[in-house]
Amino acid sequence: VSLHYTDLQLDALRELANIGSGKASTALSVLLGRAVDISVPSARALSFADAVDATGDPEAEVTGIVLGTVGELEGTVLLLVSPADAEAICAILGVEPGSGYAPSALAEVGNIVGSSYINALAEMTGMAIEPTPPATATDMLGAIVESVLCAHADASDVALMLDSQLRVEGEDCSIAFMLVPTRDGVDDLLGRLGLA
Amino acid sequence: MRTTVHMGELAISTTPGDELVALGLGSCIGLAVVDRRAGAAGLAHIVLPEAAGRPGPGTPHKFADHAVPALIDGLVEQGASRVFMQAVLVGGASMFGDGAPGALDVGGRNAAAVRSLVAERRIPVVAEAVGGSRGRTITVDVAGGGVTVREAGGAEQALLAPMEVAA
Repeated sequence: VSLHYTDLQLDALRELANIGSGKASTALSVLLGRAVDISVPSARALSFADAVDATGDPEAEVTGIVLGTVGELEGTVLLLVSPADAEAICAILGVEPGSGYAPSALAEVGNIVGSSYINALAEMTGMAIEPTPPATATDMLGAIVESVLCAHADASDVALMLDSQLRVEGEDCSIAFMLVPTRDGVDDLLGRLGLA
Repeated sequence: MRTTVHMGELAISTTPGDELVALGLGSCIGLAVVDRRAGAAGLAHIVLPEAAGRPGPGTPHKFADHAVPALIDGLVEQGASRVFMQAVLVGGASMFGDGAPGALDVGGRNAAAVRSLVAERRIPVVAEAVGGSRGRTITVDVAGGGVTVREAGGAEQALLAPMEVAA
């Protein structure tokens, strides 16, 4: 169910997300030395009231890694990793899970994966987009997602979420990946695609 | 009945046994206002401090300057009296600390806006669990007017003890 966006627009955004997450999965694969699969991304336009619930149980514990985008597209890239998957990723990287290094290791994973996604988006659209340094938090899913949505809440009541899953082969471990552009950002993206 | 109050929503109840809850508050504020004498309670899930001339088309209650008056007026309509109202604030955290992209302190600004709007209406804030960098869940028990808060991985803590219900 789309709010304000046509199916054609959402399809085009989904295709952007598909190519972006393809690049992100390659970067993750190189970093971990493992094959990485991607799910078919979804592009969803949701009301704020529904947006948090759509990502999962609001009270579930999760590690969130955020990168902002600045330049011609303003928005937030959010990576979500469950506690078990965060441990698995740390183990692959040779970092003691639960040690002081774990958050920095996860932030770096987020940085590399998120930046390659953003760079792919910049290439495809010809927009000048730069990622900002990552920040991490391990807490309730709802609190993390809500805080990302808040940053874009003043101009619009609709959250556009482009999300996909990166799955590390043989590890049963995945990263959920989400781009939340500002309302102006979405319009700019669609403009570049000739679908505004 | 348990009612989940999502981002930008507001709920009011006078039905004993009802529970109002906002799950996983980050930078948003869960504002509970209760009149325990009248057995009325309300909860608003506030996202931003002020509409600044841009009332959202669908959810005006995401803004503190719309939600606070609407919550109080709604309670009065349900038989509550302003003189007996008590307010509890939960949330307003900065989940990603100072490292957040475009590090606007929305949580802190939300808390300040809600406090001042509540104070303007002379309603006392009797308890708070605000700020820091942890997510929180607020639960309001309509019958006794009790309010509890829970952090990730933590136990439920009373912020406002429920009123003893006469047998």
